[in-house]
Amino acid sequence: MRKIILILSIIVLTVEIMVKCVFAANNIAVSIDAPSTKANMGDKITYTGTITNNSGKALNNIIAYISLVNITPGKESPMDLEDWSANKAIKIDTIQPYSTYEAKWPMRLIDSGNYVVYITVVNKNDNIPVTSTMSHLEIKRILRLNPNNVLPVAIGEPLLIGILFIFVVLRKREKVK
Amino acid sequence: MKTAWIIMQKEIKENILTPKGVLWYMLTSTILSILSYLFLTNSELSLLDQGQMLYMIMNFISVLGVLIGIVFGTDALAGEIERGTIEALFLSPLKKNELITGKLGATIANWGIIFTISLPYLFVVGKGAQNLLVGVIYLAIIGMLLTIIFSAFSMGLSARIKSMKNSLIISFFMFLLSGSPIFLSAAMRKTWFGSIFDIINPFADAINTFDSVVIDSQGFNYQASRIAIICSYTLLSLWFLRRSVSKLEM
Amino acid sequence: MIISVENLVKKYDGYTVLDGLNFGVEEGDIFGFLGPNGAGKTTTIRILTCIIKPDSGKITINGYDIFKHPMEVKKIINALPESNGYYEWMTAREYLEFFAKLYGEEPSRQKIDGLLEAVGLHEKEGHIIRGYSRGMKQRLGIARALINNPKILFLDEPTNGLDPNGRRDIHDLLIDLNKKHGTTIFLSTHLLDDVERLCNRIAIINYGKIVWAGEAKKGAIEDIFFMATKEGKL
Repeated sequence: MRKIILILSIIVLTVEIMVKCVFAANNIAVSIDAPSTKANMGDKITYTGTITNNSGKALNNIIAYISLVNITPGKESPMDLEDWSANKAIKIDTIQPYSTYEAKWPMRLIDSGNYVVYITVVNKNDNIPVTSTMSHLEIKRILRLNPNNVLPVAIGEPLLIGILFIFVVLRKREKVK
Repeated sequence: MKTAWIIMQKEIKENILTPKGVLWYMLTSTILSILSYLFLTNSELSLLDQGQMLYMIMNFISVLGVLIGIVFGTDALAGEIERGTIEALFLSPLKKNELITGKLGATIANWGIIFTISLPYLFVVGKGAQNLLVGVIYLAIIGMLLTIIFSAFSMGLSARIKSMKNSLIISFFMFLLSGSPIFLSAAMRKTWFGSIFDIINPFADAINTFDSVVIDSQGFNYQASRIAIICSYTLLSLWFLRRSVSKLEM
Repeated sequence: MIISVENLVKKYDGYTVLDGLNFGVEEGDIFGFLGPNGAGKTTTIRILTCIIKPDSGKITINGYDIFKHPMEVKKIINALPESNGYYEWMTAREYLEFFAKLYGEEPSRQKIDGLLEAVGLHEKEGHIIRGYSRGMKQRLGIARALINNPKILFLDEPTNGLDPNGRRDIHDLLIDLNKKHGTTIFLSTHLLDDVERLCNRIAIINYGKIVWAGEAKKGAIEDIFFMATKEGKL
């Protein structure tokens, strides 16, 4: 008897969690535009996230943020977006029932590699965050600046001023004599 | 104003067109060369786009201009007093305002030279940055105002203290205090105290303006309040200088 | 009187340096201003040359109130202070040209040559001042003091650092200036020989007050000085 009650309790708990997941998932839907993007290092692109309220109740105080994960073999890691993007988290006051909200994330691509980008939405009243599908991002490395281009200035200018220095010293010595 | 021009010429001949002066410029150029090459060859730094590099070099150039301006400023009056040359100047029909105008003019000329030396580096490092030209213009003007602020202040201090060493020390401390925001993290600057300090600090206003113009592509209207604060400090430092010199006696 | 001083008072940190000074100098005088160390001679000269302001008193120079018209006064006077610094990176010529411009004059080569010749520096005009001896610097200071052809020349120990020949040259120069150009000379010095040779009138200051003033009688100056400064007033 006890065993039966225990098993039944576990089943009920599991179903409850699953229902909540389904409910939460059904409440909010998130999508990210562009399933995949190819760009160059230094480019600026903008991701648009669409957040849909699928429920009959207004959703309040929603937080949405973008994440970037490097999936280049050997360099797998989530990225710190401070140098990549001005805005990361967006706070949405209200999404009306059965309405959508569009949010934009401009991003400056500062390093080459293969990445996945996705948007996560957090509702304070739910236990489970909702994420979009992943958008693949391939960033090509292009050398915008050849370090050798700076050499003429880096070497030339101190040299020119150095020549001027010698000229001024010699002129001063003539005066002293 | 003719006598101010004569004083300015003398200051330029004394401090700029000398081996010592040219050596300063050679060192300035060398430091900028190292910095520029580092930006483009260091793998981490090269992740920054040209806007970031341009912004960082602009800050550095402003600091250089201000530092040399402080040295000029502290020597301007206290140096003349310590060398015993000020009495002959006061004997002549030279007004004190003309004297400080001439000396300040030489400081601005020095900034002009530093800015000119920096131009090739700015154009090479910032090549391709969308706000290069406007950034250079902002640097020319704001750099000049910062130089005036700190050198007028240190000149006024040198007139009051009459000691080059002591006025130099105080001026450097004031500069470090003013420049401290650049050493603080972004989070620290966002506290209530950090925010207020950022707003009222002319140096912070300058670097935030460079950031806003070069990196965030903001227009003049966005900078107006910061530029107004920098201009106010310029007027304040000139007033301090004028008042200090009016009380100057042997 | 070309210089008139009435009730001049100057205090430094509560210490009275000049205590109601009164004296006058006639145009064309070579006026000796004597006194022991700390008597107030340099302070008096600095006030008369508009470098410092007194606490009270009235001074007129060539009819101008020096407090109301300092610039007019500076145009007609010049001075060689006791401790005169030089722009040692300049040559003598550059130094004189710089000061000539400050007085609003376009320095002609002829004028600068004349001045350098008068003080015996024409052979060293192209050398920078850093290499000058003390005596040479003193001569240059005198040349600078003459750059604007002053009506009144204030000299504070002008023969400091000069050898006897140098002193004699400067004496001759000053006498020449006075006789040919009518320059009034206000001479502050410890060297009573210089006073004997140059001055026609003297005043002796002690503890911020004039203790003796009158004609400089040859041979009696030393006695007058010691008597005046020993007892406070003759």
